[in-house]
Amino acid sequence: MAIRDDFEVVASQVRTMVQRFALGLLVIASFGAMLVGKADSVLVEHARVLALDLASPVLEAIARPVAAANRAIADLKEFASLREENARLREENARLLAWQTAARRLENENERMRELANFREGPEASFITARLVGDSVSAYVRGALLNVGRKVGVASGQAVVTGEGLAGRIAEVGEHSARVLFVTDVNSRLPVLIERTRERAILAGDNSPRLRLTLLQSVAGVQRGDRIVTSGHGGSFPVGIPVGEVVETDQGSVRVRPFADFSRLEFVRVVDYGVTGLVSGGTTVPAAPPAGVRIR
Amino acid sequence: MRADGLLAMLDRWGRWALPGAVLLFFVLLTLAPLRAPYLSGALPLLPALVVFQFSLATPERLPGPLLLAMGILLDLLLGGPGAPVGVSALGFVLIRAAVVNNRRYLVGVPFLFQWFGFCLLALGFVILVWFFTALWTWTAIDPMPAMMQYVVVVVVYPLLAPLLARVRARDPLNVPDESRGTAQPGETTS
Repeated sequence: MAIRDDFEVVASQVRTMVQRFALGLLVIASFGAMLVGKADSVLVEHARVLALDLASPVLEAIARPVAAANRAIADLKEFASLREENARLREENARLLAWQTAARRLENENERMRELANFREGPEASFITARLVGDSVSAYVRGALLNVGRKVGVASGQAVVTGEGLAGRIAEVGEHSARVLFVTDVNSRLPVLIERTRERAILAGDNSPRLRLTLLQSVAGVQRGDRIVTSGHGGSFPVGIPVGEVVETDQGSVRVRPFADFSRLEFVRVVDYGVTGLVSGGTTVPAAPPAGVRIR
Repeated sequence: MRADGLLAMLDRWGRWALPGAVLLFFVLLTLAPLRAPYLSGALPLLPALVVFQFSLATPERLPGPLLLAMGILLDLLLGGPGAPVGVSALGFVLIRAAVVNNRRYLVGVPFLFQWFGFCLLALGFVILVWFFTALWTWTAIDPMPAMMQYVVVVVVYPLLAPLLARVRARDPLNVPDESRGTAQPGETTS
């Protein structure tokens, strides 16, 4: 019995030593990975896209059960406030009907004006509808994974919109998957216009639910409730996609609440404005009709 | 080593692959667009919980190189431009080493001690990831969201740990004694 105990003690000591030696190597290896990632960002980008493409079928498989779970959670939440919600919706509906009338009138008027002025429109945008198969939301990133990729014409830099407004832009593209970086991410910088004053600014995210308006000519002209829209400067974004509204202006800092509700995204549309295709020689335009639904 | 039947062999392979498979599942679950309040924010820390829990009884089934690969996969999938790839791997490896070197405080002790041990190690993990992410992106990242994650995962631990311990302790049928795991009956949690 005693011999066996001794043997076990020695064995465990040897094992511990081997493990300690291995630990050093493993720590060095992980530091090596971090340094390589810092030095060669292209390699990391490729590795990310590869990992994304590998994980995306699995994610798509679990997307439905996850969506069902989400719906159940949302149902439970809404059940509690059904009556208030109904009242609110009725009121909103009335307000929107009034707006619809106004929009129709303005659209007609606008069309006639354009005819008169011989106005040339920009390239027509087409949409690729995508399902959100994965979140990449952590303490450091605000983003999501989509189930569409290069195969259907998604390209890096394209705008991603929801029914309410801009959600973000495409950051990485794989063959069948893409990663969206939300406007709320700390790395997001977006050229925008203040709709009322037509003043240009940059809208920056900082991982919080509110966006920060920077590089503004003068803060004085901005009021609470001002709508912020994309300016279309410097890239593939169409002009005038609604982004959010100003909710706070004090001490020179302007805070914007995004229209898109990131907590309940399920489907989004990727806006193919045609500009990226021109820049890269048209290679991103798919030859065959895409599998994703083209709306327009 | 005596020749096992096919089933027993498959069985043993299954038992060896189980911790890795569970870890992979939780790494992928990190990306699931779950909208449960609070919980969805803590998903990125669950793989660390799995590493801790399986290192308690069967660390030899989560070898270092596997942890390295899983950590790098997690960092690649979680993304974020400029974020360090490999910091989770470093965290996993350190958690495993810490558990293995402190087995006598963590294994075969009341659950509360294990929970406390997890609190300390998870705090170390969160701080490590936060520090390297801030260093690599060279921005002052607000530590509050990371701390919220930490609090949630610490609260989730008593719910998830017994479940994982059950998965781990399950003895399959027809296993020859030689191929059983090294875990002693008193070593499992719960």
